[in-house]
Amino acid sequence: MSDEVGSAEATESGDVERSPSLYDRWLAVREREATIAVLTFVGVFLAPFILVVLPELLGIPRQYSWYRNLVILALIWGIFAIGFDLLLGFTGLLSFGHAMFWGTAAYTAGIFSANVTGSPIAMILVGTTAAVLLAWVIGWISLRRGGIYFAILTLAFGQMIYYIALSPLGNLTGGENGFTGVEVGPLLGLLPLGAEIAFVPDALVETWMYVLVGLMTVLAVVVGNRVLNSPYGIVLRAVRENEQRAEFVGLNVWRYKLMAFIISGAFAGVAGSLYVIQRSFVPIENTLNWTVSGEIVIMTVLGGVGSLFGPLLGAGLYMYVANIVSGMPTIGDFWHMILGLVFIAVVVLAPNGIWGRVEWLRERVGETLGGDDR
Amino acid sequence: MSILGDLVVLLVNGLQTGAIYVLLAIGLSIILGTLKFVNFAHGALYVIGAYLGLLITQEISISNGRLAEWGFPAIGLDWGFFAALAIVPMLVFVVGLAMERFVARPFYDRPDTDQILVTFGLAIVVQELIHALIGPRTYSYETPSEAFGLLPLSGPVGVPLSSVTIDVWRIWVIAITAILVIGVYAIVEYTDFGLVVKAGTRDPEMVRLLGIKITRPYLVMFGIGAALAGIAGVVGGPLQNINPEIGMTILVPAFLTVVIGGVGSIRGAVLGGTLIGMVQVTLISLGSVGLGGFEVNFTPWAQVGIYVLAVIVLLTRPQGLLGSEEVST
Amino acid sequence: MTAILETDDLVKEFGGLTATDHVNLTIEQGKLLSLIGPNGAGKSTLINLITRMLEETEGDIRFEGESITDLKPHEVVQRGIGKSFQTASIFPELSVEDNATIASFGAEHGDFRFNFLTHRDSYPEVEQRALDTLEAVGLRDQKDVRAADLPYGDKRRLEIGIALASEPSLLLMDEPTAGMSPEETKATVDLIEELQEEMDLTILLVEHDMEIVFSVSDRIAVLNRGSVIAEGTPDEVQGDPAVQEAYLGGVEL
Repeated sequence: MSDEVGSAEATESGDVERSPSLYDRWLAVREREATIAVLTFVGVFLAPFILVVLPELLGIPRQYSWYRNLVILALIWGIFAIGFDLLLGFTGLLSFGHAMFWGTAAYTAGIFSANVTGSPIAMILVGTTAAVLLAWVIGWISLRRGGIYFAILTLAFGQMIYYIALSPLGNLTGGENGFTGVEVGPLLGLLPLGAEIAFVPDALVETWMYVLVGLMTVLAVVVGNRVLNSPYGIVLRAVRENEQRAEFVGLNVWRYKLMAFIISGAFAGVAGSLYVIQRSFVPIENTLNWTVSGEIVIMTVLGGVGSLFGPLLGAGLYMYVANIVSGMPTIGDFWHMILGLVFIAVVVLAPNGIWGRVEWLRERVGETLGGDDR
Repeated sequence: MSILGDLVVLLVNGLQTGAIYVLLAIGLSIILGTLKFVNFAHGALYVIGAYLGLLITQEISISNGRLAEWGFPAIGLDWGFFAALAIVPMLVFVVGLAMERFVARPFYDRPDTDQILVTFGLAIVVQELIHALIGPRTYSYETPSEAFGLLPLSGPVGVPLSSVTIDVWRIWVIAITAILVIGVYAIVEYTDFGLVVKAGTRDPEMVRLLGIKITRPYLVMFGIGAALAGIAGVVGGPLQNINPEIGMTILVPAFLTVVIGGVGSIRGAVLGGTLIGMVQVTLISLGSVGLGGFEVNFTPWAQVGIYVLAVIVLLTRPQGLLGSEEVST
Repeated sequence: MTAILETDDLVKEFGGLTATDHVNLTIEQGKLLSLIGPNGAGKSTLINLITRMLEETEGDIRFEGESITDLKPHEVVQRGIGKSFQTASIFPELSVEDNATIASFGAEHGDFRFNFLTHRDSYPEVEQRALDTLEAVGLRDQKDVRAADLPYGDKRRLEIGIALASEPSLLLMDEPTAGMSPEETKATVDLIEELQEEMDLTILLVEHDMEIVFSVSDRIAVLNRGSVIAEGTPDEVQGDPAVQEAYLGGVEL
């Protein structure tokens, strides 16, 4: 196409000073990404202290506070939720079958550990690969029909995978008892995940398991942030906003949606593999059952769609309510119902979830203080 | 046993299972077709129907629900299965009206992800409400076999069917379902009311411009869909155990029925539901079959079979078997 | 002059209804062809056939000599046919600059790339094209405004900008002045004429406002009940009895 006419003339009108060199841009990018990575790193590795150790020091009864394994679980679900939000919050696609990626990765990693090697890194790689391949096939079929069908079809395929694992493949998967033969080996061949870390105070990080999950969380945030700042970030938002227009600027909307689905499936795969490494067991009801798909929807929406940290917050909140609040007297029995009501309230009143409210408050406060920090 | 006898039993079982899906799918399909509203709480209507039916049919003892703590260890009317079949639709019709007015209507103009999310939240609340009141226990209906007896199948001369019997109540259930479905079909196809609903599907703006108040027909349509889902709960009662969680599990085959049959088509829902019922029952009763030297056991594939069916339909006829061919994006 | 777009006995039937009836149209390079006709004449159907939103029943469409009937909508855009919509079809929650950037990704990178781990800042040419586009439609100063907050006329300019970012050889404009105030209409008409001249753009215009049509068009095609009943220069069309007939009681010509 003719390139000379429009662009050349406009460029001459004094644009030169506003295009800094490529190297400068790269530096600026690195800086922003490094900031996010460092902040996440600090947050993740302070979490055990703030959530577990500090409440103990303050004398808060043990049954009301977090425990270390719960922090690990919350981070694992957080990785899952970040990936889910790339799909729901940024592309506008609501999947009700993400349990199949989390679960397939879990089974693949578990069965792989029993038959090949228990290296955690290898388990993550194999589990994630399985999830990605499945996401490719399922996405290809489910995206054939647009809009409302997507939720229905992903829900249906999720159930299909569940039933396949439950019965026809029962010999391989352990059927309704789950897969019990998981054998997790040491990290990098020499660091047992359950072992305590030398030289690091227990108050901060206790085990290598936490280090592994923590680092994967930081990685997930960094990769998620990178995707959002890549051309995909803007193209996916365009698809969410106005699919037809995106098609009419010449973008292959279908393939971008499929990619969003696969990337999201990869996050679910990493998380599912970590889940099995942490539990050394693949329980079918907590991996492939549709309830897992429902849980990830609730976490993401509660925490806040369309943001990077909202889903992490949602995962933490959900884990706390489901595991700690559920044990409290009186309200404990109703935790699920309360969560359902809060969920409805968020959908109706606060489409951007709790994180969205936090951001909103921060802006209000910023305005009243007269600061304009954007 | 004879092959013909087996086939008759298979047909009755398949139709009864299919009846559940047909009843559920008609409501889903019409609401999806006319209002473009995705109702993830449709399964909750099934659960409500199933529990109301249970309480009308018989008396149950509650072991660990709140109702037991509040001094109702046993509740229920003990009026029998067919009384439930008659009363439940009226009750769930009212529930459906309330759902349309207070949950669905405020969301008609919002994106469909929001519709799905809010109805999903509602389904959770209903599930947990039942869970809290009656407890998580699984209940089952007393099958009304005795009252109706068995129908011995005496085949035409020369065909031995002596060993096969069929529960008469099952045939009644199938017949009642058929009559209801035909009734709803007639309402949508041949009355002014149905005409408005159908026209509203094609072009809501035009119908509104013509001065027809479209809210009322939609409200009633939603109620009818809900009532059918309630009946499905009663029909499914003696076939499947019921517990608070069953709403979401039953929703999946109901959606598949819509996908297979085609959105907005009652005939499609009937075809899809019957197909799914037949496939499921056939795979279960096939059991182990020798195929060219291999022993293939079909029973474990019974649940998977309906998804395979849906995938095949989706890949070859994306709009569903009886769906209209339109660009729907 | 060479033909840039030709339709060849194009037919589209919906059920029993013929919306496009053996249409043979030719648009020449660098010209502005207007498509007029009463409501329901099949103008939108014809546009949708060219953009491949609709599958034709019979016939062929050739763009720059090659058939495009096997292409998908985004492939047609990649070939060089842009479309400006009847309503302001933009990305409302994104900033004006982001709106232009999306279009410029479509133009610079083709329909798809696997660059989900590459930072957007590594594509200065995309950013440059986005800014150029905004410059061309006069929205450069509003680049940080949320698109939804623009006044209607500016939304339409942005819309046209998005369609132009790919520097199409042929631009389909579906009622670009619908819903505009007289001043906005005037500005838009000026923009169209300017663009056509500067960018050597070929335009297929669908428009109800006859004043605009007769002032900007090189040629006019009149559609009625799916078929072309007249085609020619504004003067030829104006005097055509068949056209008068079709518009009887409608718009005064």
